[in-house]
Amino acid sequence: MGDIFSNLGLGFGVVFQFVQWTPAFLGGASIPIPVNILLCLIGALVGTLVGVLPGIGTIATVAMLLPITFGLPPVGALIMLAGIYYGAQYGGSTTSILVNIPGEAGSVVTALDGFQMAKRGRAGPALAIAAIGSFFAGCVATVLIALLGAPLTKIALAFGPAEYFSLMVLGLIFAVVLAKGSVLKAIAMIVMGLLLSMVGSDIETGASRMAFNIPELADGLGFATLAMGLFGFAEIIRNLDAGGETDRKLVQEKVSGLMPTRQDLKETTPAILRGTVLGSILGILPGGGAVIASFAAYTLEKKVAKDPSRFGHGEIRGVAAPESANNAAAQTSFIPLLTLGIPPNAVMALMVGAMTIHGIVPGPQVMQKQPELVWGMIASMWVGNLMLLIINLPLVGIWVRLLRVPYRLMFPSIVVFCCIGIYSVNNAPTDVMIAGAFGLIGYWLIKHDFEPAPLLLGMVLGPLMEENLRRALLISRGDWSVFLTRPLSAVLMAIAAALLILAVLPSLRKKRDEVFVESEN
Amino acid sequence: MNASPGHAPVKSIMPKWVRNPQEFVGGIALMAIAVFALWASSDLQGMRGFSFGAGTAPRMFGFLLLGLGALITVVGVVTEGPHLAKYHWRGPFFVTIAILTFAFTIRSMGMIFAAMAAFLIAACGSPETRWTETLIVAVCLTAFCALLFPYALGLPLQLLPTFMIR
Repeated sequence: MGDIFSNLGLGFGVVFQFVQWTPAFLGGASIPIPVNILLCLIGALVGTLVGVLPGIGTIATVAMLLPITFGLPPVGALIMLAGIYYGAQYGGSTTSILVNIPGEAGSVVTALDGFQMAKRGRAGPALAIAAIGSFFAGCVATVLIALLGAPLTKIALAFGPAEYFSLMVLGLIFAVVLAKGSVLKAIAMIVMGLLLSMVGSDIETGASRMAFNIPELADGLGFATLAMGLFGFAEIIRNLDAGGETDRKLVQEKVSGLMPTRQDLKETTPAILRGTVLGSILGILPGGGAVIASFAAYTLEKKVAKDPSRFGHGEIRGVAAPESANNAAAQTSFIPLLTLGIPPNAVMALMVGAMTIHGIVPGPQVMQKQPELVWGMIASMWVGNLMLLIINLPLVGIWVRLLRVPYRLMFPSIVVFCCIGIYSVNNAPTDVMIAGAFGLIGYWLIKHDFEPAPLLLGMVLGPLMEENLRRALLISRGDWSVFLTRPLSAVLMAIAAALLILAVLPSLRKKRDEVFVESEN
Repeated sequence: MNASPGHAPVKSIMPKWVRNPQEFVGGIALMAIAVFALWASSDLQGMRGFSFGAGTAPRMFGFLLLGLGALITVVGVVTEGPHLAKYHWRGPFFVTIAILTFAFTIRSMGMIFAAMAAFLIAACGSPETRWTETLIVAVCLTAFCALLFPYALGLPLQLLPTFMIR
């Protein structure tokens, strides 16, 4: 217990750190400024700002905003990125409540009841409940990360290469099973991501692989480049198809009366609690994340409700539960990343990319060698949630105005912003072209119902998987049974196999599709 | 919705026994990618005893993708599914041109020119573009980026064309 408090203490110490700023114009006088809090605030604000723009999901937002953290020291950059991440999440729910265009998959469910509430002039309470639920879930998740962080790190240190490989296989299988759509196609996307990650030089022999003597490919495909292509450019192109303006019906009523009534609070408290628990669990699971959490929470709420028919017609619990769940999951999905070094979903994969750019390799070693970084980030999550609660409600008016910006002006801006961002990673024009190519590939994938998110996950896990596979086989002298003879590895593999079989079984698949479909109707 | 010119023939190309064209074409494309990757990594060294060579993993995943692609293609034949989605050429075309223009001009012409050009070309991608407001927004965004990236974020970006600096 003592450990946890000292760790959290360390974290809050980092977050509330003051840096003496001595500008020349003050003639030697220095002003203490809380840099990390400011970065957290800016991150949350900018994240919300971009997340609010319809048609831009969380992954695209984080990818687009990656470059603005490059110039910062690692701790500050991570704190800001985390801020951007939950800012984007919150922004997504704002759009779905006000315009019925979910910015991201996670808030599709929020749009169901949230938009109905908005149409009846109850947008204020819907937004407020979303914020309150998110904040509560965020508090619980922060404590959970602090509790689980240290013990999981200890387990991770006992892992050998075989266990790591099996764990990654399990994670990828989980990602496939918990995702929407065809299992087969999702696996294919992961393998394609793994293949793409092989481009560049081989870690052990240094041989150039599939790089075709193009110097820019010698170091491999840039992660940020790929993400911005697949999620930024591809989304833009697809939205242009949809015709942008036609289906944007903004709630015209003024957003007034923010506070939910006492009755609302009474109704939503259990929903928020259930959502938080469900979201926390689904977030920790490898492959889990915000999307599945919000769908599952909505389905659960509908199941326990006395009168399920009210859902879809402006039921406030249909906003509270998924919003709490997706925020809880968004945060607990940091647990596998920070303790095991394995990103459980595409957004976390982006975080790995960001950390690598700053020279940090996430995993148990970071937890031990740079505790201020990890705990600072964890503490900043709580602070960030608090800020979102405080700043967002008064700023709803501004977000509404942002929503009125027509798409015809927004999309060229995003194109330019992404271009500059990609270029600034390496100062390489080739990167911009590669991103453009992946934009077209992403558009094609969307048209054929392939999800690009598993591809990103495979891309990040590729080098790790290959390295551990090689090591495991080297240690076992080429014996493939090592994955089944080492007990821990065998258990992980068995779970993965069982999951895969279950997912393909018709009865469970029907159930899984039900979770997604039912909440959409 | 304006149907793209290439759309109608695509539908008729598909023989009748392909009942799920989306999966069928997707699977074949994946197989093509896998074959390409296998070809690209064919010059790499394979297994040496029980240690992996540089080419072992790419080949392994290449064959895996080939198999998965084949499976998806089979699914495309045996299941019922939606027709190929409509492709529109205008959006993808202009956005791609804008990206390429940016990539080719950023080094020599600097960020201000590249950003303006990319913005205006990308704007052609939507039939709803109105030029006066687009021009105003383009100028504002370029100015904003010119302040944000080099000054506020301290990233080394060249703003002006090379010939103007010298």
